[in-house]
Amino acid sequence: MPKWGMAVDLDRCDGCGACVTACHAENNISTVGADQAARGRAKHWIRVERYWEGEFPDVRLKFRPVMCQHCDNAPCEPVCPTYASHHTPDGLNAQVYNRCIGTRYCANACPYNVRFFDFFNPSWDKPLHLQLNPDVSLREVGVMEKCTFCVQRIKATTIQAKSEDRPVKDGEIQPACAQACPSRALVFGDLSDPESEVSRLSRSPRGSKLLEDVGTKPSVTYLSKQ
Amino acid sequence: MKAVYGLYEDGQAAQQAVNRLRAAGVNDRDITVMSSQPMEDVEFGHMGGKTWMWWIACGGGLLGMATAFGLAWLTETSWPINVGGLPTFAWWPNLIIIFELTMLGAILATVVTLVVSARLGRSSTIYDPAVSDGLILVGVEETSDARVRELQDALGAVRGEIKVVA
Amino acid sequence: MSQPAHARINVDLLRPLLRTSWRFYFLVAALGSIVLTALVSWLSQAFFGFGVTGIRWPVYWGFYVTNFVFWIGISHAGTLISAILRLVDAGWRRPVTRCAEVITVFALMIGAMFPIIHLGRPWLAFWLFPYPSERLIWPNFRSPLVWDFFAINTYLTGSVLFLVLPMIPDFAVVRDKATGVRKTIYTYLACGWRGTPRQWHRLETAMQIMAIGIVPVAVSVHTIVSFDFSMAPVPMWQSTIFGPYFVVGAIFSGIAGLLIAMAVLRKVLHLQDYLHPVHFQNLGKLLLVMALLWGYFVFNERLVTYYGNGPSEMAVFWRTQRESFAPLYWTMVICNFVLPLVLMGIRYFRTITGCVIASLGVVVGMWLERFLIIVPSLGHKYLPYSYGIYRPQPVEIIIAIATFAAMMLLYVLFAKLVPIISIWELKAGRASASLAEAVGEGGDARPVARGEANL
Repeated sequence: MPKWGMAVDLDRCDGCGACVTACHAENNISTVGADQAARGRAKHWIRVERYWEGEFPDVRLKFRPVMCQHCDNAPCEPVCPTYASHHTPDGLNAQVYNRCIGTRYCANACPYNVRFFDFFNPSWDKPLHLQLNPDVSLREVGVMEKCTFCVQRIKATTIQAKSEDRPVKDGEIQPACAQACPSRALVFGDLSDPESEVSRLSRSPRGSKLLEDVGTKPSVTYLSKQ
Repeated sequence: MKAVYGLYEDGQAAQQAVNRLRAAGVNDRDITVMSSQPMEDVEFGHMGGKTWMWWIACGGGLLGMATAFGLAWLTETSWPINVGGLPTFAWWPNLIIIFELTMLGAILATVVTLVVSARLGRSSTIYDPAVSDGLILVGVEETSDARVRELQDALGAVRGEIKVVA
Repeated sequence: MSQPAHARINVDLLRPLLRTSWRFYFLVAALGSIVLTALVSWLSQAFFGFGVTGIRWPVYWGFYVTNFVFWIGISHAGTLISAILRLVDAGWRRPVTRCAEVITVFALMIGAMFPIIHLGRPWLAFWLFPYPSERLIWPNFRSPLVWDFFAINTYLTGSVLFLVLPMIPDFAVVRDKATGVRKTIYTYLACGWRGTPRQWHRLETAMQIMAIGIVPVAVSVHTIVSFDFSMAPVPMWQSTIFGPYFVVGAIFSGIAGLLIAMAVLRKVLHLQDYLHPVHFQNLGKLLLVMALLWGYFVFNERLVTYYGNGPSEMAVFWRTQRESFAPLYWTMVICNFVLPLVLMGIRYFRTITGCVIASLGVVVGMWLERFLIIVPSLGHKYLPYSYGIYRPQPVEIIIAIATFAAMMLLYVLFAKLVPIISIWELKAGRASASLAEAVGEGGDARPVARGEANL
């Protein structure tokens, strides 16, 4: 049984934002407009956090892409009254839109603030509606959504490999963000395979987890110069 | 069949009327007393007092407890869903549901017992609106015509209104 | 001996039921229109989308959840007064019990609407009810929101029954006094009550059992509401003190609500002979005790946080104490602690007016307390990039105001249909008191009856 995880190399990330754009395109995430974005309604399943360190002229800019950490001890899961947020056997935190009644408790419980609420029904100005991905369902107003590690790509590749009677190759499944990243800062793979690239990276001495002391046991390892 | 009753001003007078009815050979079960407040400090206020309500309330609570435990255990183990890596059935969170339904069971059992055992909802044969003004009614609901005179005397030994209802 | 008092009690307490003035209709119309405005606002939220509220990333709970916790808190008035004082057989509770129980039931009804109002998809709220659905899924019994559902429904059922059962003998009195259509309605409501010792004994036993049962339920309800917060790893939420802290706050705000309701009723329905200054003074002393308890819990919570000095927790700590939320925070402290201590602690100020002023302050302060628990923490969690500021929008403000209008409206309607002071309980108290007097100073007089002589 695979256990999906990710490694994010902060020393490679240059904050270009290609991952954010790719995620929007792949997962049918609508943009909300300038007004709503100013009011905090933007839905960036992966976001690039930008931090300044130091005083001018010795300023350093740090970028950190944050997406759903798919925690083993996810605080968002036990609190959902309808089991919309739950853990799959292959280590993903799944969000079932059809079960969600929009209490938003999961979003409050998430220490990483990676859960987003659909404040309005999504809309795309023409001709962008032609670009929608048929593999991903649209979310109506009132439900929570978040990064799924591109579960549609995981499922598609897994089914393809099964039909060809072979195991899934390491690196064969690429979530949209990992695929789009020009500096290959995002690596996705099977953590239960000790030889996979993501496993080796997660064992790296440069590796740490985000908000490790909260105890969520995230599946994403952040690598940076110590 | 006739009903005979008297209206008395206070508990002491009513108690004496009850005693005289008993002396005239009427069973406690056939004596009807009605008041606008519980007359705990007078003897007749404790007529028909024994009740199983406490036990039934406990039984209702146990029923609620079993329902809650069954609901939680059966649904959580039949469709096990991993949430937060927590155990499928854990006592700590399910105790809350169990507690609430236990109390609900006890409360509902109490109310049902009250309605049934106080025979609320069934209409009565005798009643006098004067009871609402504070008078106490003491009487016999069903008696043969022959005894009416005798009971009237028993009720009326002290001043009070006596009424006969057909 | 007791008959003139009986007749006068009936007249005084049944007057609102039997006579209606234009003021009643005006009040109902005014309050009803506010409630209607709120209903239209909420429907517009359901129609246009949840975005018309001020909720945003990451402050996903705001005014609605504040109102929810606030009104569930107010609902603890009835349980304390009615059940606990009944259990310790305190006679001075008798004129007050029904006012208090009515607050409980209506505050619960209003509070219980908010879990539906604040949902993203409220038309699916019935999924919280455990029923075998074709989706092969049951509610998540491990979720605090499902605990809320069970707890609030249990408490609501218990409170409604606790309120309605002692109303039956009073309905019988109204049935005997009313004429026409009213008589038919109240005959039906009185359920054939006759007042036999058997019925009285069973009613009193039932009330005793329910009083014993409703107290733990009430404590559990607000503890479970507090679990809505303490089960999430949010700075200054994940505190084990939340359970008792919230229960104390609930009882505190409940007593304040009760004092206000009693003062208004006394004025409007001319109940000066039934609600005496001693009732207000006793409740005022309880308000003082609860204010001290509330202060104790706040001190505990904040001292432990301060001592731990965790970075995320201290960021939220200072946010309320000296940064953007400081004005609201210190208003809350004055309203909840300073004002009740001064007004209720000094006997000169412990008048009916003093009680009402202190209670109004507590109502404001407790609403602020709920707001200050929710919003500063959510806007300032662990990752600084995701901090956010919440600004309530008209929908939320209208609905918040309308809850107070709804409470008043329900209360006015209730006082019109049911005697607001329990007639038979009042008479029973007086009968015991007068019996004690008749028995004399000798050994048979029960100590409880002595206290009741104050009535």
